Order: sequence, then structure tokens, then C-alpha cells
Amino acid sequence: MKQITGTPPQPKFKLRSQRQRLWDTFKRNRTAIVGLILVILIACTSIFADDWPIAFLQGRKAQPLLAPFDPTKQDAYRRLEAPSLAHPMGLDTYGRDILSRVIYGGRVSLMVGICSVLVGGAMGTLLGLVAGYSGGRVENAIMRGIDVLMAFPSLIMGLMVLAVLGSGISKMIIAIGIMLSPTFARVVHGATLSIKETDYVEAARAIGVSRFRILRVHILPNVFGEVVVMASIWTATAIRIEANLSFIGLGVSPPTPAWGTMIRDGTQYLTNAPWVSIFPGLAILITVFAFNLLGDGLRDIVDPRLQA
Amino acid sequence: MLRYIVTRIALSIPILLAVFTLVFIVVRIIPGDPAEAALGDYASKQAVEALRERMGLNDPLIVQYLRFLGDLLRGDLGISMISGKPISEQVAHVLPYTLQLTFASILIGTLFGIPLGVFTATRRNTFIDYLGRIISLAGLSVPAFYFGILLILFFAIKIDLFPAVGGGDLKKPVENLKHLVLPALTLGLIMTTSVTRLTRSAMLNVLSEDYVRTARAKGLRERAVIIKHALRSAMVPIISIIGLWAASLIGDSVMTEVVFSRPGLGKMLVGAIMQRDYAALQSIMVIYAAFVVLINLVTDLIYGLVDPRISH
Amino acid sequence: MNGKRILWLMVTMLILGSLIAGCGPAATPVVVEKEKVVEKPVVQTVVVEKEVPVEKEVVKTVVVEKEVVVTATPERKEPVILRLGQNAADLHSLDPHFATTTQDRSLVDMVFNGLVRYKPGDGSVIEPDLAEELPEPEMVDGKQVWIFRLRRGVMCHPTDTTPSYELTAEDVVYSLQKSANPERSAYAGEYTGMTVEALDDYTVKITLDKPLSPVLFFPKVANYSGGFIVCKKAIEAMGDDAFKTHPVGTGPFMVQSYSPGEKVMLVANDAYFRGRPLLDGVEFRYMPDISSREAGLLAGELDVINGLTDEVWVDKMSKEEGIRVDVFGVGEVATVHFNTTVEPLDDPKVRKAIAYALDRDEFLALFGEPVAENVYSPVPAKFLPGGLTRAEVEKLGLAYDVDREKAKQMLAEAGYPNGFSLEVVTSEMTGYRRIYESMQAQLAEVGIDLKVNVVDHSTMHKLIREDVNPIVVYIAWRPNADVYLTRFFHSDSIVVTGAKPDTNFSHYDQIDDLIEAARVETDPDKQVDLWKQAQIKILEDMVAYPLQYHQQVYARSEAVDYGHELISVLALYPGITENTRIVK
Repeated sequence: MKQITGTPPQPKFKLRSQRQRLWDTFKRNRTAIVGLILVILIACTSIFADDWPIAFLQGRKAQPLLAPFDPTKQDAYRRLEAPSLAHPMGLDTYGRDILSRVIYGGRVSLMVGICSVLVGGAMGTLLGLVAGYSGGRVENAIMRGIDVLMAFPSLIMGLMVLAVLGSGISKMIIAIGIMLSPTFARVVHGATLSIKETDYVEAARAIGVSRFRILRVHILPNVFGEVVVMASIWTATAIRIEANLSFIGLGVSPPTPAWGTMIRDGTQYLTNAPWVSIFPGLAILITVFAFNLLGDGLRDIVDPRLQA
Repeated sequence: MLRYIVTRIALSIPILLAVFTLVFIVVRIIPGDPAEAALGDYASKQAVEALRERMGLNDPLIVQYLRFLGDLLRGDLGISMISGKPISEQVAHVLPYTLQLTFASILIGTLFGIPLGVFTATRRNTFIDYLGRIISLAGLSVPAFYFGILLILFFAIKIDLFPAVGGGDLKKPVENLKHLVLPALTLGLIMTTSVTRLTRSAMLNVLSEDYVRTARAKGLRERAVIIKHALRSAMVPIISIIGLWAASLIGDSVMTEVVFSRPGLGKMLVGAIMQRDYAALQSIMVIYAAFVVLINLVTDLIYGLVDPRISH
Repeated sequence: MNGKRILWLMVTMLILGSLIAGCGPAATPVVVEKEKVVEKPVVQTVVVEKEVPVEKEVVKTVVVEKEVVVTATPERKEPVILRLGQNAADLHSLDPHFATTTQDRSLVDMVFNGLVRYKPGDGSVIEPDLAEELPEPEMVDGKQVWIFRLRRGVMCHPTDTTPSYELTAEDVVYSLQKSANPERSAYAGEYTGMTVEALDDYTVKITLDKPLSPVLFFPKVANYSGGFIVCKKAIEAMGDDAFKTHPVGTGPFMVQSYSPGEKVMLVANDAYFRGRPLLDGVEFRYMPDISSREAGLLAGELDVINGLTDEVWVDKMSKEEGIRVDVFGVGEVATVHFNTTVEPLDDPKVRKAIAYALDRDEFLALFGEPVAENVYSPVPAKFLPGGLTRAEVEKLGLAYDVDREKAKQMLAEAGYPNGFSLEVVTSEMTGYRRIYESMQAQLAEVGIDLKVNVVDHSTMHKLIREDVNPIVVYIAWRPNADVYLTRFFHSDSIVVTGAKPDTNFSHYDQIDDLIEAARVETDPDKQVDLWKQAQIKILEDMVAYPLQYHQQVYARSEAVDYGHELISVLALYPGITENTRIVK
């Protein structure tokens, strides 16, 4: 059989727009790359705030590594000291080093942010897949339930769940996870619906491939791209919501540093010592920004049609 | 068309019902006895029991549920456990402040956002566009309460320009307005970033359409092309989403009210949670959720009216 | 924008501007009767915490003349309202017999009177209020009797349901009986063994089963806690529930309106028996956020604010132009109570170890002097007779100065070489939070892991009364040593299981006899000695670690004149009376 090689001659304008699109994608790759670098930087700083792997192996308590001081060590006589060379972000109301607390505080935010997205993403994806693939009454029931959940503004939903569960990291992860699952469910549901109709899925069904296998092999990989994009963006949202909830007072217990709680503690001293609130706030801003950047960049790669 | 409207409205009702039910269940699961919380530390056991009877907490759940629904339908939001006053009174008192803030933020958001969106859309992929996108991403990333704190630090403390606190007397419009500026700026500027992004992408979609190219080909001035043709059709998705923005900003508006100590539904909600005022908590959550359902309904209806695909 | 548009805009602005500026009531010349106030020395009987009344020459201001002045420049009569920003989200109860929170107390102080009162600004002096003078007790049939003659012409505030009427003995009897009723008062315990009758419209007879010294008796009928006199007709007409948010008394200010979560509006009582207040009203605003209060004061929207118990804050605010900060007593005492029935705190060695692990000065540094000061006994020696000073406890070896090595050693001896862990709840209010968090860090140094959960203030109060915390920090003021010791250390007051559960968090029952003996002791020196003995025992058993007292911190605009010196106020606020004014 004669092999057809080479590409057929392309009309000129199409070539230009293709080049244009490739260049755009590359540029947005830059966004994604910058976002990724920032996220990794922030994560590493927080994770290696102290030397826990070495300490664990040596069987002792972890000592601060990237963070200059122990975040819980108080020095009441030097409370609310202004930023200086030794303490670039100043001291808080108990005389604790704010820079160290900001670095350690990233752990709470990242943990809550990432875990709640994992929880919510998993729940939501599962629901969306099942709803999209099963169709009929199951689909209806699930999607109506999603509609009801989405009727609650996210913060209100979070407040409701925390009012029932109480405060703390694990409860917040559950609360924010519940908050995020509807959006995941919706997107996955939509994607599942469209993929369900494609030829190869029809063919697979015709042959008699099991439902699970179809879901796992055909549908899931295709929605994966969307889910990853959403995961990144919603991590940003989750971190912001955690900050909100901590600021209201539903956050972690002392002395664990958490950015939202630190800002809250600092509001008493806005006139005297604004640095207590300013720096944790900046940390939130930069971290959320990093995840948003990453998400934006990923979205442009995964689905260039969406963003121009 | 009519069928679409009716169907859509009919769909909202079970959703509303489900929402109310969910709120009812959640409030009943919250640990702690509402009667005890209401009476405080010094109440005797008899007083607590008496209050439980009066609040109907000893009736079977079904009865409580039906009574709850019945009250809601009549517009009776119940009695606050802390102040002993009808919640609808309190709500009526703070609602104007919340509405003011919402309206002002939407105004600022659209007033700044749409032109900025158009601007960056027309200067696509230039440095300005890039800068604009970074700024709007930053705006999306900043928590509303932190932004509010920064504004307080600068405008109310460093420069004594605007009050940092409260909502001002509704009967004194100038004072009221001064109290509105900083909170509205906080929410409005954050909203601007979302509006800019949406306008930008809507404009870009429209700008690549055929009829725009036709208009250009006809030799119309660029400005006319943009404003008269592109923007007008881009406005359709934008306007229909304004309500959704208000709904999505509810979380931020609650935080803004808290930071500025500004009377409003959001501050009332946080207060109710902190003081364990379950009755108020229940009613305010119902109000918020009902508001969101309503906005969604209205948005869908507008879409239906405007989008030719649906109104066949 | 072209030039024409700009011009048009300017014209519009001009017109608008002049409209706004021109608004305002037109001024008319006014005839004003000025009251010339003259100070004349008047001999008056003043009880200064001693049995024998002393005749002191007290300078009293007396209205002497009325001057009629026609003002050439018209005076605008805008109501002068004092705007007070208080540290609370909302009221809990303005029924004075349930007003236990600091903020509610300050409000009811403006609305009610007692038979006697603490002198405004100086809580160590008691003077007559609704009564014409301080009575001497008599013994009748083996019981102590106090007879109060009431002033005439004291008018109850009018309400929608009841017009203003003259307060008589009937109201006093009703009110004190309400205070004694556990269903209608949080202070019922203080009024057991007391019978109140009206001999006629203006005479009240109080009979005590067991005699009390004036030091212990007068606080019960003072303008404080259960001693506030409520107006019978008003409260019967509106019911106890409504009274909670619309209290009706005889004081210089009346409640006009209440916006939940926002403010209470008080207006001047024109018929006040001490004269019409110089202020037209008080706006009592609920502002739990310190930065809001601060910003409000600095911006001129508030006249007085409740400040932060923090020397750093006091320093900063004092430097602000036009602002004055007042730091005054009474000092609310912070004590750390150990639940002696819970492991491992049931071992006195462990408790003492903890005491040695704590550094008073480190706690003090978090608040700063003189806003806070160390105390060495549960009863504060600085404010009340019966307290122990540092010198006294040092001599007895009960100062428990910090020694962390010793603490670790004692823990090891007690069987806890690696420490142990405890869990507590704290209020989010600054005072409590800071003490618990500092304690957490300090105890960590000796290996004790203290888990701290932050809850809102009223929840903490509820939980500690359910015996949830093994270690309880409590910050409070009590009017005398007897009340301190009874409510915190008498076995009757043990939380949950006591005969009359109150705030005995340590479950201590070893000094009941000393407390009861002191209560009925009529010789003041012996009484003080018994109180001291009781506290020495407390320290020896280390059931409570006395930490520090916090004074009251209020900031005001310099235009505010409270009308009295600020030494100590039991109502925990500067005291707003008929003499308080704003000097424009």
C-alpha cells in the first residue's frame, strides 16, 4: 500500500494562526512554569522549616532549619518589637519571631489547601463520574443535591460545617472539601457526558467492556486535565477560605502558627505594630497568587480555547 | 419561551425547600443546648427547661420542621436568643447597609472593570495586558479582609480621610457615604479584577467573530467598532453574570463587614455563630441561601431571554 | 473631556457645595439661664471603712445662684451625647441582678441606684444614695437590724407601659427580694438570711440572721450587683424578659432604645434627684474590635473607649494629640486555680512544681506596668484589707518565685520526669488568652504540654463551671475578702457538686472554718488576721497561684470630663454620672 507521507500543503493563513497559537501556548507555559516554581519554593520553605526527617531518624525533637527561630518560643520582654536585622519581620505580641511563624504557618495553609482539594476533588470527581455515566434517576438525584449545596455561598457553607464539627485543621479540611466538591462534580459530570457520547466509548461498551474499566481507562484520563486545572485554582481558593475562617476565629489552636490567625491577633495592634498583620497577609497573597498563576497557566495548556 | 420560564421557576422551589431543610438539620446538629446558650451561665435547670418548652425544642423533630417551614413562609424569622427581639427586625435594620455595600461594590466593580477589560482586550499580549493580568490575578488572590486592613491602615490611620469603623447613621447621608467608601472600595476593587478578566475574555471572543471583522472591513473607526459592536454583544454575558458576582462575593462581603465593624447581614451572621444564637444563625443562613437561589434563577432567566439558542 | 464640560462640572460642584455648606438650622438669639455653681464647704458624715462614723468637712458643690444672661451670639442647642465604645459584641442582660459581664455592669451603673453607693471615682468610700444617710446597725431580739430612711422625690424612669412614679419602700423591698430569689438573680446567695420589710413608704427595715460588719454589709445594698434597686411597677408591667433589654431604674440616665449587636441609647433623666445630668445622653456602642474602637476615638467618632490592658497600647494612645488615657482601679485579680481532684494535680508536689515553673514577671511583661501588677495572694493587698503583700509571703517562703530547675526536680520526684499533658479551654478575650498562651510556653519549658483551645468568652465561662478545665485562670473583682474567699475557696462553692455551686474551681474545702469565722468577726483586725490565715493555707497547699491584677484602661478625648477623680471604680469603667460633661 502506498504510504502517504508528509503533510498536505497548508493554506497560508492557517499556518500563521497555528504558529500564533503555539507561541501563545509557549508564553502561557511561562505562566505555568513561573507558578510552578513559586509553588514549589513556598512548599519547600514550609516543609523544611525544621529538620523533621533527620530528627525523626535520630529520634529527637525537630529543630528549626529554614526558619531562623522556634515559632513557639516566647520572649515577653521584647514583645511587639519592630522589624530588625535579627528579626526581619519583627516580633508578635508574645515576643515570638514572626518570620519563623510565617514559614511554619505555611504548613497549615498548604496542608489545609491541598488536602481539602484532594478530599473535595476526590469526592466531587467520583460523584460527577457516577452521575455522568449512570444517567437517569441517579444522575438526577446527584445533580440536584449538587445544586442544593451550591446554593450556599462558600463561606457560609464553611461556617455551617465548622459550627457543627468544631474548629481545627482536620475539621477545616472536611469543611472546605465539602465546599469544593460540588464544583468538581459539575465539571466532571459535564466532561463525562460529552466523552460518554464519543465513538470509542460506544465501541467499548458494544464490545462489553465493564463499566469500571471504561470509567478508569477511557473517561477518567480525559477529565483528568480539567480536574488538574481546577485542583490548582481551587487550592488557591481553599487557602483563601482557610485564611478567612482562621481570621474569624475558627482556626487552629495556639500556639500553632497559621496565617489567618496571625492576622487576627495583629488587628489589635494595627496602629502600634502593623507588621504583625502585614507579613502573614503578604504570605497568603503570594501563596494564593502562586497557585492561581499555576492554575491559569495549566488551563491555557490544557484547554487553549478557553483563554485567549 | 414561557415554558422555559415556568420550568425554571418551578425547579427553584424544590431547591429552596432542600436548602431550608439542610439549614434546619445543620442547626439541630450543632453541639450545645440553644436554651442553655440563650440563658447564660446563671440559669437554673427549671429556667432552662421552661425555655426549651417555650422554644418548642421538646416537640418531635417533624413538628419543629413543619413549624420552621410555616414560619418561613409567613416571613417570620423567629426570635433572637440573645436579644429576645424578632430577628426580622434586626435583619430589616441591617439590610440597608448590606444592600448599600453590595450595590456600591458592584458599581465600582463594573465602572472600573469593564473599561479595564476592554482596554486590556484591545492591547492584547502587550506589556500592559500582561501587567493588567498580573494585577487582576493578584486581586483575585488577596483575601478581602487583608485588603480591608491595608486600606484601613492607609486611609483611616495614616491619613485620616475616611472612618475605619461602623456604618454611619442612615439618616445622615453624607456621614453614611463616608462610612461606605472604604468597605465599598475593598469589595469593589476585588470585584474589579474578576470583572476585568471576564470582560477581557468576552471581548476577545467577540473580537474574533466574523461580524467584527466585517465592521472593520467596512472601514469603521476602530473605536466605533469596539464600543458600538463588540462591547455591546460582549455586555450580554457580562450583565447576566453581575448577579452571580454578587453571590460569589458574599463570603468576601461578610469578611469586609467584620473587618470594618460595619452593620450588616454578614456581621450579624458571624456574631450569631460566636454567641451561639442558633435562631439568628438559622434565619440568616436561610436568607443568604435563598438570595443565591434567587440570583441563579434571575440569571438563568436573563440568559434565556437573551440567548437565542434557548428562546426558541 | 473638553473645556466646556469641565466648566459645567465646576459650576455644578460649586452649587452642590454651597447647598451642603448652607444647610443647617438658622440661628436665633437666645435667652439663657446660667446656673452659677459655687463650692461651699459642708459638714457631712462619711464612712471610711471604719465602725465609728467620722465627721469630715467635705467640700460639696451646691447650686447657689441663677444668672440670667442674654447671649448676643446665638447658641445652638445640639444635644450633647457622650459616645462610648465598649468591648463587647452585645449585651447579655441589663437586668442588674443578672448583669454579670463587665460591660453590662457599666451600663446598669448609669441606670440604677442602690440604697448606698460607692463614691464616684473612689470605690473605697461608701456614701448614701437612695437612703438619706448610712444607718447604724441595732441588735433587736438577737438579730442585727438596719433601718434605711429613703429620700423623697426619687422618680422612676417612665416607660411606654408605666409613667414615671416616685420610688418608695415598696420598690426597695421588691427589688431586694428579687435579688434574693435564685430564679430572678445571679447573686441570690449573697442575700440569704436577710429579711426586708417596708415600715412605711419611706422606711426600709433589713434584718440579718447573722450580724455583719458594715464592711461586709453595705456592699450588698450598694449600687453594685444585687444592690441595684429596680422599679417594681415597671418590671411587673413589662415582665422579666423585656426588662433584660429595657431596664428601668432611677439613675441619671434612662434607656431609650436598643439596637441588638450595635448600641444602647441612653437619655438624660431630667428628674434625677441629684439634678439634671450635664450630658443629654450616652450612646453605648458595642464594638468588640479594639482597632475599631481605637480608630473611632482617633477619628473623633467616639468620646470614650474601653482600651487594651496593655502598657504598649497605653503608651501609644497617650502620645496621640487630644487623647488622654486613664488607668485606674479596681484591679481585677487573675488567679490560676488547680483542680485538686484531677490527676496529676491531686498531688500537691505537682501543683507546687507548676507554681515554681511559672514566672510572674514574664506574665507581667505581656501586659506591662502599671496596667498590671503582680499579686501574691488571692485577695489583692493593694485594694482590700486581708491581702498578703510580697514581703509577707516571702517571709513565709510562699512567694513561689520562678525556679524551673526546682520545678523539673519536683515533677520527677512526683513521678513525672517527662512531664505530662493537659487540655484546657480559654476565652478569646485578651486577658485570658494571653495568660493561657504564656502559661503554655512556660510549662513547655518543664516538659508539661498544655493544649489550649480558644472559644468565645461566654462559652469558656460555661465550660469552666462544668469543671472542664484542670487548670482554670479566672480574672475577677470582688468587693471584699469575704466574697473572694467564699466564692472561690469555700466548699459550698465547689463547681458542679457544691451546695451552692459557684467558682471554687480547685474543689478546696480546707478553710471553711476560717472563712466563716472571719465573716462574723466584728473586730476588724482579727477579721483581717483570719483572712490572712486562710490565704496562707491556700498558698501552702498551692491550690491557687495568685498571678496579677489588671487595672481598668479607658481612653477618652480630652474634652471629656467625668466630673470626678479616677482612683478606683467597682463598676469597672470610669463612671458616667450627672456631673460628667463634654467641654467643647
